Amino acid sequence: MDPAKLEHPTPGALAARNERPNSETDRSPVQIGQFLAVNSASHKRPQLTLDELLQLKWLLGGVLTLLGVWTVFYMDIDAWTLMALTTVATLAVLIRPTLPARVPAFVHLLAFPSIVTFFIADLWLTTEVLPAMVRLDILLLLYRSVSYRQRRDELQIIVLGLFLIVVAGVLTVALTFAAQLLIYTGCALAFLLAITLTDSTAGGRAGGVIPNAALPEADSARGGKDNAHHARTVPPGWAAHANWGQLFRRLREVTDWRVVLLGGLLFAGVVGISALLFLAIPRFQLENSMFLDRFISKKAKSGFNDTIRFGDVTEIQQDTSVALSVDVSNQAQIPATPYWRMLVLDQYEAGTFKLSPGLRRQEFGIARTGSLLRGEARPRLGAATYWTFYFESGVSRYLPLIGQFGELRFREAQNFQLAADLAIVALRDEPVTMTAYRVEGFDPFGVLPDPKFAERWRKREQAAQPLLAMQNRPVARGSERETLQRLVNEATGGAKLTAAAFVPRVGAWLRDNHRYTLAPRVPDGAGDPLVRWLNSREDGHCELFAGSFVLLARVAGFPARVITGFKGGTWNAYSNNFTIRNSDAHAWAEIFDETSGAWLRADPLGVSAGGQAEEAKGAAALAGRMDRSWGARLDSLRVFWYRRIVSFDQRSQAETLKAVKEATQNSGRRLRAAIERAAATLKAWIAEPWDARRLAVVLGALAALAGLWWLGRKFGRAGWRRLVGGHSGRHGDPVRREAGQWLARLREPAHDEGRMTNDEGARVVADLQRLRFGARATWPEPERVFRRARRALREARRQQRAENRPLRS
Amino acid sequence: MSLPDAAEWMGPGARRRRRFTWSALLWSMVYPQRGHRILPTIPGTVLIGLSFGIGTAAYNSSSNILFITLSLLLACLILSGVLSWLNLKGVTWRLQLTPPLRAGHDTVVALELRNAKRFLPTYGLWFEFTARAVETARVQRAESTVTARGIDVRAVFANADRAASHGRVPLASRLDPSGEGRIEWTLKPERRGVLLVELASVGSLFPFGFLRKDVGTELAAKAIVWPAPIEYRRHGIAAARRTAGGERVARAGAGGDLLALRRYTTGDSHRLIHWKASARTRQLLVRQFAAESAEGYSLWLRTDAGLWVQPEQFEVLVSLVATLAEDLFRAGRLLGVAINGEAPVPVRRVYDLELFLDKLAVLGPVEDAIGGGEFAARAPGVAGDGGRAPMVAKQNVMTFAPEGARGVAAYVDGQKAASA
Repeated sequence: MDPAKLEHPTPGALAARNERPNSETDRSPVQIGQFLAVNSASHKRPQLTLDELLQLKWLLGGVLTLLGVWTVFYMDIDAWTLMALTTVATLAVLIRPTLPARVPAFVHLLAFPSIVTFFIADLWLTTEVLPAMVRLDILLLLYRSVSYRQRRDELQIIVLGLFLIVVAGVLTVALTFAAQLLIYTGCALAFLLAITLTDSTAGGRAGGVIPNAALPEADSARGGKDNAHHARTVPPGWAAHANWGQLFRRLREVTDWRVVLLGGLLFAGVVGISALLFLAIPRFQLENSMFLDRFISKKAKSGFNDTIRFGDVTEIQQDTSVALSVDVSNQAQIPATPYWRMLVLDQYEAGTFKLSPGLRRQEFGIARTGSLLRGEARPRLGAATYWTFYFESGVSRYLPLIGQFGELRFREAQNFQLAADLAIVALRDEPVTMTAYRVEGFDPFGVLPDPKFAERWRKREQAAQPLLAMQNRPVARGSERETLQRLVNEATGGAKLTAAAFVPRVGAWLRDNHRYTLAPRVPDGAGDPLVRWLNSREDGHCELFAGSFVLLARVAGFPARVITGFKGGTWNAYSNNFTIRNSDAHAWAEIFDETSGAWLRADPLGVSAGGQAEEAKGAAALAGRMDRSWGARLDSLRVFWYRRIVSFDQRSQAETLKAVKEATQNSGRRLRAAIERAAATLKAWIAEPWDARRLAVVLGALAALAGLWWLGRKFGRAGWRRLVGGHSGRHGDPVRREAGQWLARLREPAHDEGRMTNDEGARVVADLQRLRFGARATWPEPERVFRRARRALREARRQQRAENRPLRS
Repeated sequence: MSLPDAAEWMGPGARRRRRFTWSALLWSMVYPQRGHRILPTIPGTVLIGLSFGIGTAAYNSSSNILFITLSLLLACLILSGVLSWLNLKGVTWRLQLTPPLRAGHDTVVALELRNAKRFLPTYGLWFEFTARAVETARVQRAESTVTARGIDVRAVFANADRAASHGRVPLASRLDPSGEGRIEWTLKPERRGVLLVELASVGSLFPFGFLRKDVGTELAAKAIVWPAPIEYRRHGIAAARRTAGGERVARAGAGGDLLALRRYTTGDSHRLIHWKASARTRQLLVRQFAAESAEGYSLWLRTDAGLWVQPEQFEVLVSLVATLAEDLFRAGRLLGVAINGEAPVPVRRVYDLELFLDKLAVLGPVEDAIGGGEFAARAPGVAGDGGRAPMVAKQNVMTFAPEGARGVAAYVDGQKAASA
């Protein structure tokens, strides 16, 4: 029936109705609106039912809830109980979706007031905004996960989960955030898609996806509260017969791999576009006016505090997690054994070294806020070497440095104190996120010039300064002092040595009498434990060695102090950076050399200042530290994250643009040069004398090209059609394709009316149409049909020629 | 009365391919296409608000974590737009209005859908239909609304909105690639006249429900709505003239006389095939016999505005005439019809009756209805009867007159035959 005539009521409309009472126009009245899939040329894939879509939505909502609350694992906020409770509840309702119906009605009534009361009490008691908000968020997620959700509740889940993930990311700046954000985004998009499809399939009944869609009058007339109550306490049909295994099987059935592939590509596109946007969003260097970590007070986890007991550093050494990653712009400047200084401990009392209040007052300047600080090191000739540090959170508030520096620049403005003579930088609070800073002009040779101290030391006879005494005051009295004096004499042979000579001599003596161990034993008895250990031949760890050296040096009349930090590290061969782990924690000593007016590193267990200058540097130094393990691959990802994402700023943006521009220009230049070279080569080749072999080569190449073109045209197109046509069969099936070609051929002579109206012609056309469009089960034998079609075409053309002949004559 | 474009495939997939230019592509990404309207939904507003909030926090804190989150949110918005475009790409539709339409009766407005994409299905569309009567009466002068009060303008719009029927039909399931589907909207025209059925827009929240996309269409079809049938009371007519014996009438029926030849259709008896004529014309023809009728009536409708003052009464008149015409035709007793001064039209076929119903659908009171109608001049018992011989019927002319304040009565040769 010609559709153009259908909307015209006359002529013949009434006749059609009267004469053909069973026709389409007389069908019984249908519902207000409905969709009928009348014909699908493609292979009909099954489709998820409304119940299955609702089950999928419930499942994705649960997954989003879990992804959100699991951020507690690395957020270091006291919400473990709530997280565990939410996890258990979410898993329970995922396994048994009918459980929410068993929640008593009064729980729903009291839920909101209870949550608000909890939040206010939490805020009141802890006075910390962010942890209270996180706990509130988890509580809301818990409630949403154990109740049947409406559309707005589902959106709440997405927003609440996103809040948790963003807060965790901002607080930790961890690589985990990137992975979790990507997974969460994928799940959230799938969840939103499921919501849209569910509402669409329900035709607006499931929550009004279609704006202003008319709901059934009975529904709208029913009170909203009654509806909500009913929805919460009665398990819906989809929940009653939820079977996740069956759902996954159905998902596999309905999934078209091409659509999944396209979805994957689109998601990869989203990641790519977001990366481009990240690079392109204009950056401005605004001073920090808001940061989430200000709403949270975090407790230090590490042992690198102002006070260190013996065993603290060894305890840190048990932890193999990364503490520090360092990029070095000039690898030739890297020492073979870098010592990463963090803290100077000068005061010793009963087995504990600590930073004395006097030294703190004397050396540490006022607290400042900013992103740039200048050190004491003088600029050197030649290109500057930049050391970029990515200092993990939870290690210390004292920044690792390898000596005095010229300039230190934070990625973000920080509150800090600088002790320039000590080459120590202390942040006001222990950072809760990774701290990135770049240092220029390091002096990495283990010698720390301290002219002020030298001046004071020289004038110590004239005016004894109690603060100065902290670094050279003998730490023992009475018999212990005698013991120490005896040991010094034993170590030095009673000779009066310079500091530079004292260091190796005493270091060797210590190593001769004690061996290194991570499980030391200090002999029992009265008095100072360090003196007891020194007087024994027990094994010890780095703190005992360093502390003993300081005691001996001070007894011998040298100012000395304990330094804590890290020693060594590995060189990541993939990302080309130093990776220093907590297991590299170390303690050593520094002794003041009056001759040079500088503090010399004295490590009884390692390389001291004198030896470091003789060690190899650069590539030779790194060769022994190269790390090519799988762990190094993972660490390289972390460094990439820090380098390219976390530390990306206005300058990086400009550098990126510049790099892109240069790369484009270089590529263009290279391309032009390559084309010119190729043209010149071709020209020279053509200019050479031609012979049969060259001619054969050219003709062969042309023939090969023609063959490729023909193959591509014949099979490439078909392959592409098979790929995109998939199950349709109409384009991909060779029988259907050939039938279509025969129909097209027969259509040409059939333009003349009546040409194909003879019985055989009509039958052939009908059979071809069945082959082309009909179900496979109803096909006649294709080859026979094609033969008949060939004959019919021949006959039709013969008739055409016969009719045209008399006309011409 | 139909619009030619209603039967053509329209939609995003039916557009003619224009020459590709990068500027056109970029512009189409920035600026909505003609007729397209994009509005943020509540989730979309939340997303945009969230993006603003995170962007503000990102700039304030210089936190790249927040910049990443912002980038991802913006990328999701872009993905939403791309998927929405892909969803609508290749989708075409055409309107099918199934006649006959009759006031007060359900009719099905069908929309055929076709998805030309190779492997991507289409989801989550909804179709907004509008049906409104086309006013064939005087066209009001356009007036400026600049000085009008808002409440008045809103009232005008509300009235116009009430006068139209609206329907929204969702695409409840998937429209498969290279597949077709059909949307049906059941409509009940309230009044006779010319009805304009439009596919006002095609909307979608696909894929994530951030943005509501409305694609305006210009797909419309006009159709005539016949008057609603009405219940009426029949009265015995003592003076109705009866003919003795079967009088042949020129209408197809089960009589013995050959009326015409027509083409063979499936279901026709082989006995009716006229072999000689079929051989001559090289196509199968069957015989059609004339009906025999015992008596017949002619309807003469006068729509004098002075006589039919009440609009409701006039509607009853039109409905009664239409109902009587159909009933008489079914009974084989309708000979001819005439309206006012127009020439009488013999009703032999369904086509004649449908033409008459078409006229009734758009009929209104006229100032000078008594004019020179031939029934008026020839039918007995009617004012102005000049005694001249009628062309269609000499007697049994059914005329109509108001009965009371609301009713209408039909008279045959001056006798009341029916009332409604």
